[in-house]
Amino acid sequence: MMSTASIVIALLSFALGALLALLMIPILVWLERRGAGLIQDRLGPNRTNIGGFRLGGVVQSFADVVKLLLKEEYYPNHIKKGRGLLMFAPIITFVSALLAFMVIPFADNIIIDGESLAVQPLPIDYGVLWYLSIGSIGVIGMFFGGWLSHNKYSLLGASRAGSMMIGYELPLGLSVLSLVLTYNSIGFNDMVHWQSQTLFGFLPAWGMIVQPLAGIILIISLFAETNRAPFSVAEGESEIVAGFFTEFTAMKFALYFMGEYVAMNTASAVIITMLFGGYQLPWVDTELLLSNFNNFAFSLMLVIPIFVFIIIKWMKKNNRVRPTVSSDGGRAFETKVLTIALTTMTILVEVILIVLVLFPSDLGSSITVMLFQIATFVVKLMMFNIFFILVRWTLPRFRYDQVQHLGWYYLLPLSIFNIFVTAIVIVIVGV
Amino acid sequence: MLENNIFIILSLFLVGGSLGMILFKETIFSAFSFLVAMLALAGEFALLNNSFLFMAQIMVSVGAVVVLGLMVIITLNKQDKNLPNEEHKFLWIIFSTILVLPFSLLLYKALSSLHLSFEETKEGYGTLKMVGETLFSRWVLPFEAVSVLLLSAMVGAITIARKDDYSKKEEK
Repeated sequence: MMSTASIVIALLSFALGALLALLMIPILVWLERRGAGLIQDRLGPNRTNIGGFRLGGVVQSFADVVKLLLKEEYYPNHIKKGRGLLMFAPIITFVSALLAFMVIPFADNIIIDGESLAVQPLPIDYGVLWYLSIGSIGVIGMFFGGWLSHNKYSLLGASRAGSMMIGYELPLGLSVLSLVLTYNSIGFNDMVHWQSQTLFGFLPAWGMIVQPLAGIILIISLFAETNRAPFSVAEGESEIVAGFFTEFTAMKFALYFMGEYVAMNTASAVIITMLFGGYQLPWVDTELLLSNFNNFAFSLMLVIPIFVFIIIKWMKKNNRVRPTVSSDGGRAFETKVLTIALTTMTILVEVILIVLVLFPSDLGSSITVMLFQIATFVVKLMMFNIFFILVRWTLPRFRYDQVQHLGWYYLLPLSIFNIFVTAIVIVIVGV
Repeated sequence: MLENNIFIILSLFLVGGSLGMILFKETIFSAFSFLVAMLALAGEFALLNNSFLFMAQIMVSVGAVVVLGLMVIITLNKQDKNLPNEEHKFLWIIFSTILVLPFSLLLYKALSSLHLSFEETKEGYGTLKMVGETLFSRWVLPFEAVSVLLLSAMVGAITIARKDDYSKKEEK
């Protein structure tokens, strides 16, 4: 029989996984457009608002969703058979990206009444295999979409996507294999645990530091797997219109589009979990936080107001129109409301922390540590998503043969070499 | 009860997918039916709590076989008019079904009494860890032999596929 706590934690982590994957899409779309604007020396979408609330322009993404939902479902006339499957193809891509995200641990196993509960939407201990296998289903949706469009460009796009996926699945799997050898586990949570120790007493034992070559190969292959620039040859709008989604409109197109962002989010989550210590801060693991809970709470009480103060200061400085514009479009009002909301939240958090320090309880401290680790995870996730966006808008797209050349001639031999070196080191050191 | 219902639904998908695989004329619909059948089979393994077979099924059958099959379909790019005209297709299927029926009945009888001659499975049977430990302790020699066999098969396939002579190419 399952206890109440385990059911609550399971439901909460499932909801958190769905929220992190789905709510991240509009934020990432907005970030991408603002990031592109930053690099191309313009502003990007920043004016859409609901009653003066712009939130920096995030509202634009919701407007886009409404537009895509209301758009006409259009099928090209030459598509006679397989419209159902054509409709279903983007769903395969989207769902596989979403499912692959569900094995990422958002915080350490929380212990309630002596029961260890995983904060992971799908609490399985072979997460790496799950990610590799489910993640490779996504390309099947691109195949169906490309073939059923009955269009040369779509066909070319689909075959490019497929052969690139096959070419980069191997270095991905092999670099993951050398990481698995290092961590001696195929569970994501065990990997994070391994990474929370230190090397030589001062370096955090992050995968990127222990296995730099495997880390770089993993990051490059994941860039290719997500079909994003500089590996976006499957779309390649300057060569083959838009690749496999040339004939897709409205929500069908949006599912491919959102699937790309979910896949990018998943790739970031996998990178930080396998290479950058996951939900843990360096040098500070879960036991340390729990055993020194009072110190931890005091430092949180100090850091949070400073952080909020800087955010409010930054918002007051930037959330305004040029002096030549007469109406500020409700921006002063937005700043005021957000300032009040942020201040209230900070005071609330401080009060809760004070109560937890004055009346210590195991449950309260472990929940606080869990929330802190979730926050750390989200911050790291956002940092890596921004890295993805910066790379996309900095590097030009590789030519198709260059992409294949890089995968087969450099990454594959290097990853096999890395496995040999790792295995020899493990045999010698005897870990 | 719930397990039974899930089993029946998955089996329907499996049988439907297998039928669709041979009945559809267009290759792409056959490929989709194959995908459905393979996923349903993976679901059956998951229902048995056999995580190794479940993961292997998705990884090998879906991630490799279906993807490579689709790759072949797209590369060949057969148009509808080039597909063979299969006359009396259903007659053939009914005929061959009747032909293999006695064998299927025999197989059913043998398989349905098979579980009596085995011990009950232990806790943790079929999990990834257990399979790995067994494979690398009791069966390590056959395992390595199979991997050498696969390697030689791969080298052979590449040699057969690459008939072009390099010395001639360089002359050009």
